[in-house]
Amino acid sequence: MRAIKRVAVTAIAVGLLAAGCGGGDKPIGGASSGTPQASSSGGGQGTYKKGGTVTIANVGGQTWPCQFNPFNPAVNQQALGFVYEPLTFVNVLKSGATTPMLATAFAWSPKKDSIVFTIRSGVKWSDGQPFTADDVVFTFNQMKAQPALDLYSLWTGAGLTSVTGSGDKVTMKFKAAAEPYFFNFANQVGIVPKHVWSTGEAASKPGTWANTKPIGTGPFTVASCSSNNISYVANGSYWQPGKPYVEKVQYPAYLDNNPANLDLASGKAQWGGQYIPNIDKFYKSKSPENNYWFPPTANVAIIPNLDPSHKVTSNLAVRQAIAYALDREQISKIGESGYQPAANQTGVVTPTFDKYFDKDALATAGYDKPNPDKAKQLLQGAGYSASNPLKLNVITVTGYTDWDASLAVVKQQLAKVGIELTVQDLQQQSYNQKLFTGDYDLAYSSLSGGPTPYYELRQLLYSKNSAPIGKQASSNYSRYLKPEVDKLFDQYASADADTQVKLIKQISSYMIKDVPVIPTTESVDWYQYNTKDLQGWPTQDNPYAQPAPYNIPDVGQVLANLYSKSAQK
Amino acid sequence: MRYLIRRLGFFVLTLWAAMTLNFFIPRMMPGSPEQALRERFSKGGSVVSPEQLRTVLAEFGFDPDKNILLQYVEYLKAMVTGHWGVSVGSSLGVPVTSLIGDALPWTLGLVGISTVLAFVLGTLIGTIAGWRRGGLIDGIVPPVFIVTSALPYFWVALLLISLFAIGNNPLLPNDFNYEQGLTPGFNGEFILSVLKHGILPAGTILITAVGGWILTMRNNMIATLAEDYVRMARAKGIPNRRIMFGYAGRNAFLPNLSGFAMSLGFVISGTILVEYVFNYPGLGYMFYNATVSTDYPLLQALFLLVTLAVLICVLLCDFAVFLLDPRARTKG
Repeated sequence: MRAIKRVAVTAIAVGLLAAGCGGGDKPIGGASSGTPQASSSGGGQGTYKKGGTVTIANVGGQTWPCQFNPFNPAVNQQALGFVYEPLTFVNVLKSGATTPMLATAFAWSPKKDSIVFTIRSGVKWSDGQPFTADDVVFTFNQMKAQPALDLYSLWTGAGLTSVTGSGDKVTMKFKAAAEPYFFNFANQVGIVPKHVWSTGEAASKPGTWANTKPIGTGPFTVASCSSNNISYVANGSYWQPGKPYVEKVQYPAYLDNNPANLDLASGKAQWGGQYIPNIDKFYKSKSPENNYWFPPTANVAIIPNLDPSHKVTSNLAVRQAIAYALDREQISKIGESGYQPAANQTGVVTPTFDKYFDKDALATAGYDKPNPDKAKQLLQGAGYSASNPLKLNVITVTGYTDWDASLAVVKQQLAKVGIELTVQDLQQQSYNQKLFTGDYDLAYSSLSGGPTPYYELRQLLYSKNSAPIGKQASSNYSRYLKPEVDKLFDQYASADADTQVKLIKQISSYMIKDVPVIPTTESVDWYQYNTKDLQGWPTQDNPYAQPAPYNIPDVGQVLANLYSKSAQK
Repeated sequence: MRYLIRRLGFFVLTLWAAMTLNFFIPRMMPGSPEQALRERFSKGGSVVSPEQLRTVLAEFGFDPDKNILLQYVEYLKAMVTGHWGVSVGSSLGVPVTSLIGDALPWTLGLVGISTVLAFVLGTLIGTIAGWRRGGLIDGIVPPVFIVTSALPYFWVALLLISLFAIGNNPLLPNDFNYEQGLTPGFNGEFILSVLKHGILPAGTILITAVGGWILTMRNNMIATLAEDYVRMARAKGIPNRRIMFGYAGRNAFLPNLSGFAMSLGFVISGTILVEYVFNYPGLGYMFYNATVSTDYPLLQALFLLVTLAVLICVLLCDFAVFLLDPRARTKG
């Protein structure tokens, strides 16, 4: 048994560079996941010598509070992945392929209402204490005892009923099929050490505890922190042998894009996560070692208000007309300089989620290319004409210059079919207020995605995520209420992988039929990386994790795989 | 004496009025800490329900449903006793006092010193220019600085960055208050780093601020030089230097003093733009950030500081005028 485990660990060590490419490359719905097979596709042969520093330029817009409580949503981006690790890593860019982390395997019950994790042995906390299944059980039960810690509402919303341990197994039981929450509980919850969190302030006020010297299992530990920089150093006793290769991580607190962009362009910082206008000229041309890659993960869309009180936008013909009138390629090219690819009316982000994409349905409905004539027809049918033009308002956030540019294109395209669009730039807070409470006709908006299109579509279309006008909706801002669609979402949880693909296609057929949301471009992970000294970055050919440094816990995957060229000599 | 008491009474009344405004204005702004947190949190790719965010915020002491008058009374009490609470914005859970404590020295150091420097330099140059009216200095310096003082802060800042801070081996750093990775402490390397990082932002403030002082001082000086007592001093054969500084300068300086007090007061709020452009983690940026994330406790504390700073500076200025200007004493 021991020997097998050692082989397994080595396999992970070798295979993680290509994490998710090998045996892990199975959808989230797979019945279980073992160790990923070693794979050569990522070039991850053997181990590398230690050394080197990576400096992250990610605009957090704040000075560092120097707190590392993984349950505090304001600071967990600096703790998860770096210091705290999840049970299993779920790769959004690989249709939810899983990579074992603190759990070596998991198995769902047939009804998918309970799951058993096998906890990895031989892992040590950074203070030397052994990591056990007890820590996992403690972490989840703590979230029950302190609702403020339960960020993903696992106990209240997902129907988690118990988390128990026995030996190296941890069993989580749910009221109903809970597979869609796997992404949250296995991937986004950082496991904390019981021996630290069960005493003192950590035990009495776990939600607000500062946790300035975090003890975790992750590849790095916090060496020092000041309001303008966090220094991480490699965790000497990290459980993946040889890793991390990079010895130091500097994370300066950038308040604004400009200085971060300058530091990225000059190579002072090697890892970026922001929108750089004119990136080829400003960043790429400054050095052949400056690279960028923007993988799409979700939609940017025009959200029409479907509530009957909004007579124009709740009219299907009007929404269809808008969807037909748009030339999304052009919006992408002009508005987003091509950085964000064109979206499509099914709401499925391509090429990331290609296998859920129903190209034929899109073409049959005529949404595969712009069709201004059809748009004009529809508007005529709805009673609009040159003498009675349709006037619409769209709200957007002031300062989002790329959105402004996109909307300028949208405005032009709609003008051609006889819709007068007025763009209303609002302060973030006012915009949110209007969007959340449904006080708008059209809104330009984007949400975050997940490992399959289900996550974004459910946010957009599930009726429970909506709310009456005047009340804050949690994500279904268009107020789309369709029992048939709800039913499809409900079936997804217990369905097998193939059925899930079918369900997504069925759901996207409603996107085409009812046009509850009008996607324009696909929102992307902003990601810049410098290869002068550092190698092992996620790339288009080897998308082993979401590459922008603000993604948690993906940031930990990237950090554990980077290595310094100069240190290899 | 009545003059001083009246000033003190005015001080207390203004403070109360300002604190009341500070309480109500942020709450009348659109948005709430909950919405700001939701907005920021969704960037990480995770979906947290609004109810959950309320629970989290409640844990940190933010309760939007509490009676507003009760909140107001508690607020006044907290402001007076110094229990400023914890941030409910982007630095969720960090005590406001420690946030401000981190940023205050940098703002005082950077903006404070450069404001004082601009004032001292401007006053000196203005005095000399006014004294030698029509001379070489008077011919060149004021016109140049009229132009620079009219330039927008951020434009000067960007100009300086593109002159000195761009390229692979920049002359001067374009961001932060010291080299990242250095541990703050009293050693040569750290102090040098702080100074190097301060040059561009301080330079920006100097360039744009000094002109105003030169101009007003020069004009005051010219007006004062026409007074009889200056002529009298000259007639008595008092050395020029003493007339320039002790007779004319001292009196020409008085009107500038209250302006200086005001600008010192505003140092606390920092020159937001300068800190923003240079990524200088001072109070100015914190102010901006607190507004964006609707961070009531932090906003309240910062407003209080600004109000206090301005009021105290004005009060001190009143006292200084009281000491320097005999007329103020006799009038009271």
